[in-house]
Amino acid sequence: MIKNQKNYSRLFGFSKEEMLTNLPRHSQCNPNLLLKVQNTSESILKNNGSQFARKINRMLHEIFRELERNRQFTRTNLNNHGVLYGKITLSHQSEDQLLKYFHNRFPNCFICLFNTIKNETITMNEKAKIQKFQVSLNKFVQNISRNRPITPYFEDISMNNEEIFQEFYSSQFIASRENRKYFKKMIPKYAMEMPGMKGGVEYKFRNNQLDKYINKKN
Amino acid sequence: MIIYCKKLKIYLIVVSTLEKIRILGENGKYDICASTSSSRSESAPNLFGNSVNWIGSTISAGVCHSYAPDGRCISLFKVLFTNKCIYDCKYCFTNVCKKRVSFTPEEYARTFMKLYSMNVLEGLFISSGICGDADETTKQMLETVKLLRFKYNFRGYIHFKCLPGTSYYLLKEAVQLADRISVNLEAPTKEILAEIAEQKNYNTDIIKRQRWLKEIRNKHNTKARKIMDEQKDNQFPKQSKSEKNSQKIKIEEDEWTDEWGITRRSTGYKKIRWDGAPILNSGQTTQMVLGAGSETDFDILKRLDWAYREIDLRRGYFSAFTPIKGTPLERKQATPLEREHRLYQTDWLLRLYHFPIKEIKEILTVDENLPKGDPKLHLARNYFGENGKIDPNKATYKDLLRVPGIGLTSARRIIQLRRDNLIVKSRAQLHSIGVILKRADPFLRINGHVQKTLDVFKPI
Repeated sequence: MIKNQKNYSRLFGFSKEEMLTNLPRHSQCNPNLLLKVQNTSESILKNNGSQFARKINRMLHEIFRELERNRQFTRTNLNNHGVLYGKITLSHQSEDQLLKYFHNRFPNCFICLFNTIKNETITMNEKAKIQKFQVSLNKFVQNISRNRPITPYFEDISMNNEEIFQEFYSSQFIASRENRKYFKKMIPKYAMEMPGMKGGVEYKFRNNQLDKYINKKN
Repeated sequence: MIIYCKKLKIYLIVVSTLEKIRILGENGKYDICASTSSSRSESAPNLFGNSVNWIGSTISAGVCHSYAPDGRCISLFKVLFTNKCIYDCKYCFTNVCKKRVSFTPEEYARTFMKLYSMNVLEGLFISSGICGDADETTKQMLETVKLLRFKYNFRGYIHFKCLPGTSYYLLKEAVQLADRISVNLEAPTKEILAEIAEQKNYNTDIIKRQRWLKEIRNKHNTKARKIMDEQKDNQFPKQSKSEKNSQKIKIEEDEWTDEWGITRRSTGYKKIRWDGAPILNSGQTTQMVLGAGSETDFDILKRLDWAYREIDLRRGYFSAFTPIKGTPLERKQATPLEREHRLYQTDWLLRLYHFPIKEIKEILTVDENLPKGDPKLHLARNYFGENGKIDPNKATYKDLLRVPGIGLTSARRIIQLRRDNLIVKSRAQLHSIGVILKRADPFLRINGHVQKTLDVFKPI
């Protein structure tokens, strides 16, 4: 019976198991909600006909969408001490997933991400240990870098690279393939302020849904 | 920037890296590659091991880090290595570029790594003009890849563009370093290539190289499999998703095994496309220019069909011709992007839905081009006839795939539900499975009900 359930769980959206493991990540999740999910049958949860199921699925999508957007739009810097740092915008508790994503890419770096919503710095060291600090990013990066030696490898690839990306980005546009509809869907309002997105981007096309991931003022 | 060299007593023009990126980026933007492609899954072995020193990942693909104003996502570093080229292909952008510049391998590798550390790129697509000799340029490109792999410890995604006329030993080296290799066909036949690129030899420069790539990949992978099978500790990749799915749904087909031990369908296509091979995991691809020569859609589809059978092509790319000022074809009309779209749709039907090319030929117009509208819809009308409708609860997997609006996943879901004794009783259920009812309705009979047509409303 269990085997059958597992096979068939991915037919429509999230399985109950996935719901129970990922729902606690949501900022509006509470123990009562989890209990309710636990006591509701999987078929009801999967069927978007009920209001409760719609709510649960919406919450799960919000978590994963936010995570994906942060993977896409987080612009990181690497200093010559091997510290990779950047600003993120996570309202739900999926920092560990984002840190894992960067750790997978840069396993020999110390990763610091400043969450502009929660005003806290989350870190992951080379051994994949996660820590949280209530310090601003610049201070934290300075403190961490002091204890780490300068590595020639990182010195070689670390610099202010915004200009390079700006040049690369503007060279890739093909005028004959302009797709305004798609562009409107994908380009956020603050794209103009992003490194590499200045110029060539028409200001009138905006996507307000993406704004909060891009506008990292703090 | 102009610098005076005291030793040589001459003025040297130094082009900055930024300037090179601008020029070579503009030259390279017309090359097409799957910008969100990934090479291996978590279950497959990592080509360079799991040491902490390696940087980058090929696993999490599908992240587009930015979007160009034309709506295309930018996730690969697509900048030519050099735009100095001995060929003068009539459609090519490099023909009219006044400034000829080249990167040095170190400069190219470092620039890429800088951008990768910014999280604005997912991988590298390295292509080039042919400066002097194909082998010379390939050596430079390979040096760049080696620098990335062994100096910068980059283990992420690299798509290597093989230049026409490259030697076997260089290809062998490239296969071991890159995740994907492509050789551009440019045209479907020898005659059409001669129209647009006179200097390239279709059979020796291109087709032969594609065959070599297949041979090198298969040879290496059969050896690697043997070794890995012998070593019990080293487990070979777990079953891939496609493998599992193909086992779940056994399609009644005459499958056979070729000399390399690869299972093939009756059409000759590989049964499992993503085979989890230790090297060149993403296989080889190709690209064709549409509309620069006098080719028809059928010529292109025939060539693709051949490539899927003979050289295990992973997929083909099409680039609609755009006239560029200063080139010999500047007065030729641009190819509509719709043609590109229709060809991609048909390619999908060939490659994933396994529609025989004979059937596709039947829907072509008199001049052997694809008709307007979705090719799957035309094929469905041909197959089911005007009033033919199928019951999703009784239809076979193959028949379900023929219905527009039912894709591979939804067909699989319907079959799986049927196995669990769950029957589709309403349109809403089909919708929740993922079927696009707007397209599928005219071909379905659900619980005895069919979509009403205008004839029903005619006065008696």
